[in-house]
Amino acid sequence: MNSLNRRQFLRHFGVSAASLPFLAGLPSLSAAATPQKPKRLVILFSPNGTLPTEFWPEEEGADFQFKSILQPLEPFKSQTLILKGVFNKIKGDGDHHMRGMSCLLTAAQLSPGNIMGGGGAPAGWASGISIDQEIKKALQARAETKTRFGSMEFGVAVPNRADPWTRMSYLGANQPVAPLDDPYQMFAKMYGQVKDKDSLVSILDGVKEDMRRVSQKLSARDKQMLEEHMALVRNMEVELKTPVQTVAHPMPDLDPGIELVNDNTPQMSRMQLNLLVNALVNDMARVATFQFMRSVGQAQMRWLGVQEGHHSLSHDPDDNKESFAKLQKINTWFCGEVAYLAQRLAETPEPSGEGSLLDNTLLLWTNELGKGNSHTLDNIPIVMVGGGAGFKMGRSLKLDNVPHNRLWLTLAHAMGHTELKTFGQSDLCVDGPLSLG
Amino acid sequence: MAGAGHAPAAGPSGAAIYEKSCSECHGKNGEGVRGKYAEILAGNRSLASLTRLISKTMPEGKEGTCVGAEADAVAAYIFDAFYSPAAQARVRPVEESLSRLTAAQYRNSVADLLGRFRPGFDRPLGTEHGLRGAYSGFAIPTPEEEAEAKDTKKKDKKARKQENFTRVDSGLTHVFGTESPNVEKMIPGEFNIRWTGSLYAPDTGLYEFVVTTENGIRLWINDADEPLIDSWVTPGPTVREEKKSVFLLGGKTYRMALAFFKFKDKSASIDVLWKPPHGVLEHIPTELLMPQEIPTNMIVKTGLPADDRSDGYERGTTISKEWDQATTAAALEVVAHVEATLDNLTGSKSASPERVEKLKSFAQRFLEVAYRRPLDEAQKESLVERVFQAAPTPVVAVKRIVLHALKSPRFLYPELARGDEMDDFAVATRLALVLWDSLPDTALAKAAFEKRLHTREQLEKETGRMLLDARTKAKVNGFLQQWLDMERAEHAAKDATLFPEFDEALRADLRASLQLFLDEVVWGEKSDYRQLLQADHLWLNARLGRVYGKPVEGDKFERVVPEAGRRAGVLTHPYVLSALAYNRTTSPIHRGVFLSRSIVGIPLKNPSVAVAFEDAKFDPSLTMREKVSSLTKNASCTGCHGVINPLGFTLENFDAVGRWRVEDNKKPVNAVVDFDAEEGHSLHFTGPVDVANHAVNSASAHEAFVRELFLYAVKQPPAAFGVETLPALKAQFVDDGFHIRKLLGRIALTKAMQGFPEEAPKVAER
Repeated sequence: MNSLNRRQFLRHFGVSAASLPFLAGLPSLSAAATPQKPKRLVILFSPNGTLPTEFWPEEEGADFQFKSILQPLEPFKSQTLILKGVFNKIKGDGDHHMRGMSCLLTAAQLSPGNIMGGGGAPAGWASGISIDQEIKKALQARAETKTRFGSMEFGVAVPNRADPWTRMSYLGANQPVAPLDDPYQMFAKMYGQVKDKDSLVSILDGVKEDMRRVSQKLSARDKQMLEEHMALVRNMEVELKTPVQTVAHPMPDLDPGIELVNDNTPQMSRMQLNLLVNALVNDMARVATFQFMRSVGQAQMRWLGVQEGHHSLSHDPDDNKESFAKLQKINTWFCGEVAYLAQRLAETPEPSGEGSLLDNTLLLWTNELGKGNSHTLDNIPIVMVGGGAGFKMGRSLKLDNVPHNRLWLTLAHAMGHTELKTFGQSDLCVDGPLSLG
Repeated sequence: MAGAGHAPAAGPSGAAIYEKSCSECHGKNGEGVRGKYAEILAGNRSLASLTRLISKTMPEGKEGTCVGAEADAVAAYIFDAFYSPAAQARVRPVEESLSRLTAAQYRNSVADLLGRFRPGFDRPLGTEHGLRGAYSGFAIPTPEEEAEAKDTKKKDKKARKQENFTRVDSGLTHVFGTESPNVEKMIPGEFNIRWTGSLYAPDTGLYEFVVTTENGIRLWINDADEPLIDSWVTPGPTVREEKKSVFLLGGKTYRMALAFFKFKDKSASIDVLWKPPHGVLEHIPTELLMPQEIPTNMIVKTGLPADDRSDGYERGTTISKEWDQATTAAALEVVAHVEATLDNLTGSKSASPERVEKLKSFAQRFLEVAYRRPLDEAQKESLVERVFQAAPTPVVAVKRIVLHALKSPRFLYPELARGDEMDDFAVATRLALVLWDSLPDTALAKAAFEKRLHTREQLEKETGRMLLDARTKAKVNGFLQQWLDMERAEHAAKDATLFPEFDEALRADLRASLQLFLDEVVWGEKSDYRQLLQADHLWLNARLGRVYGKPVEGDKFERVVPEAGRRAGVLTHPYVLSALAYNRTTSPIHRGVFLSRSIVGIPLKNPSVAVAFEDAKFDPSLTMREKVSSLTKNASCTGCHGVINPLGFTLENFDAVGRWRVEDNKKPVNAVVDFDAEEGHSLHFTGPVDVANHAVNSASAHEAFVRELFLYAVKQPPAAFGVETLPALKAQFVDDGFHIRKLLGRIALTKAMQGFPEEAPKVAER
């Protein structure tokens, strides 16, 4: 994605730069008027566990060194907080991948169901709301934090099937939210009205010409009806050419011709990340999730020189050096995408004029498993980048066997949702939010 | 008085009498006077009938002062000057009005337009009913296989043996319990089933689907990809109910699939019900299910504003900003659909070398189908080539062309696409509009292209084929529903203490009963209009049988005669009668208006003063007939109620839900009337059978039916096609043995051949 694509994009929708800013009906464009600094949360997910030895820093505290997988975050070290020792302690039905995925953000057990995994009893959907939706609900309930969408659920190469391995966001018990993994659909969701208007502009002359031609042979009475119709067409033309509201941050560049196939995953990822940045800067949502593939996903990352499916590789023993190296590449690539998002947010000024978007946006990157070949739900990867949550960043912490329920409670409080006393399975919340300040 | 006709000067001058006594209220030329009598003085009474009406009721307030020769003279003057149909055509010539597509026509046209690119959507589906079920699971292991499976030491075990079979199921109600679909061969623990096929939607509207199961299911309706209901993952072992609605167009068949699976759940069962428009929650009738899979239909979801119905039928003669915006939104919906299914529509993949050519040819054909005629070379250049040159990508070009096609007046006003000359394409366009409310299908377009729509014989052949298409059936259904005001019947609730059995389910059964009767008559070989009025049978099922006095066994509807010689087709169908009644009592006025306007063919003016019928204000010992007679005894009422009341009273033997009765308010029912027919002589009716017998022999009744069908089908007044149009169609209708389908075919030809060049048959012969 480079700046040349901008021209491509403009041609794609057949508009000139001057006619760009038709943004009707986007109520939350006036981010500049927000009195308080907005707080934003983006939860990123990559699947199939990590390689602990190449992930967790040896040191604790501010003076730590990134291991290989986290190297891409080096430029953001002072804004990074790494939490080791967070455990997904949710038991019950379903195999570890299922619980890893569907209990990740919900921190509640799976309902009994009919989906059989690699072990354990068959299970169904999660039995509660996920933390992103919980925070969204709280933000949408208040006028000063309400946004057009509230939350947005991005996906990259998520297979088109709905089961507990593909869904992490839930509106409530048995109500999974599907991530949108088609950047063109996401674009249409964000800017559809604009796109429609652009298409209409391109056909107006043709329609007017048709009207003129067919009306020539009509009787006076029939002509009158067509004239009324013509007036409506002209009216539409005037409306289309009237900029309703000037947009501070133009639509992102979107390469028109990317096929949504496995091998184009890197391009799709960047398209989605760019759209996410755009959604945040235009204050369409304060909460987002960003899901790469799915739990047990078999993405073949040929762009990294890896031919095998990701999930199969993740099962190989640690002493399989070749597989280990490939998993290292894969996880480093995911980290690079997180770093790209951090980079884009850091170079985008906050619309209020103070600092960058990253200063007020907390990125949290996680995974459904602590380690791929052991399927452990202990020490699930938690890496946070950014600001705004009131956490003391620039540290590597080693917590002691903390249920992840408490981390989500901490996030909710950091986002201003302090009425939340427990989250998910309540007996795992007894010690309350973590102190990360 | 002999010879008076030859020497008008000797008798009273009709014109002078009119000027003196009538024009104050009716205007100089019968055009009406606001505040006095605003309506145009025109109608289809005979001269004799008009004369008697004047003698009895005119002038208002001085009745009885214009009788005898004076009445004769003034009636003759009025009749010839502006009253009679011939005079009307002379004084106020009627022309066709320019019309856009109505909302229904728009939706049908879009569906059939996209359908032209998906062959097979309108193929006849054969006579087999039900859905194809593909069952798959595992075979019950032999003792050896079982032993091997249990052997923990042995590695490389053989895979479990599959057990699969396919069959056509008549419905989607299956209770497997703890067993498998094939107890002998398949293990019960885990299996899955995929039912596929298609579903016929008889009416336009929202269809609700309700699935009850404890297992995993997905239901697809008219969409191969997006399930309407996705409940693959169960939220627990309990039986649950999932429901969703989808908007479907009537007269079309839709693909349907249901995937079901059981995995170690304790039990397995599935039940699928639907609630069709105007219906109740029920199992989908087997005869509406077919095992063949068909392509998806493009159904526009955008709401289009309701069309003008002020003349009694929907027509597209006005436009508004709401309509313009709705057609824009709908066009964008189609653009999105085309983009999403472009590979399927164009038969090409994005990477294929012939992609651009395929897209171009799709775009050109799309325009041609939308405009209902081929593009000329100049149009190909300006509407296709130049757009492809200007657009950044070929796909964007296709999207622009589709949007342009659907916003163009050439699509929205079907009559406007042609040039100066009438041609075969214009004929095809009109036939498709009149018979289907849609655009030509492949066969009709081909006939136009091969110039096979020239002679009457060719056209009759083509309409003969089209008349049997499901789209014609949907259109005729729409007409019958309007003719019998079935919309009103649907909401005719009754007093629950007097008629406890008259609930929603019974009303739905009555509607089905009427529909069966209408289908039987209209789509039977004779298609005889007289049967609609004279048949003495009803279609009853067990529930209806209990209420309407004739026991019926089983679930099915049966053709029964509950009261020999008393019922008269649609005149006495309980669904019609219950709509034309109050919630506790009958309403002879509503029934009389229906019989007068729709059956006997006497047009009525709207009442000059609105009088509400308030049951409580009458002496409680009176019968309904006595109450209505007393309510309308004023001279100003008798003009119309002299017609309405007697006709309505003939139905007094049927109560507010259409059951036979002999008593009203503990007095014997009197359904005998002397009816002053429009032909000028008095008729004696003893009940609805007499009314029906009169109507099937009455020219005005025939004319009313022909006119109603014409208006509904063509959406233009018959007089716009010449003063002789209606009388000619009426005469042919009689000659054809009152064949309804033939009448519709003739109406379609009238419209299609309007303005068609005279020499056309010669061209065809050469």
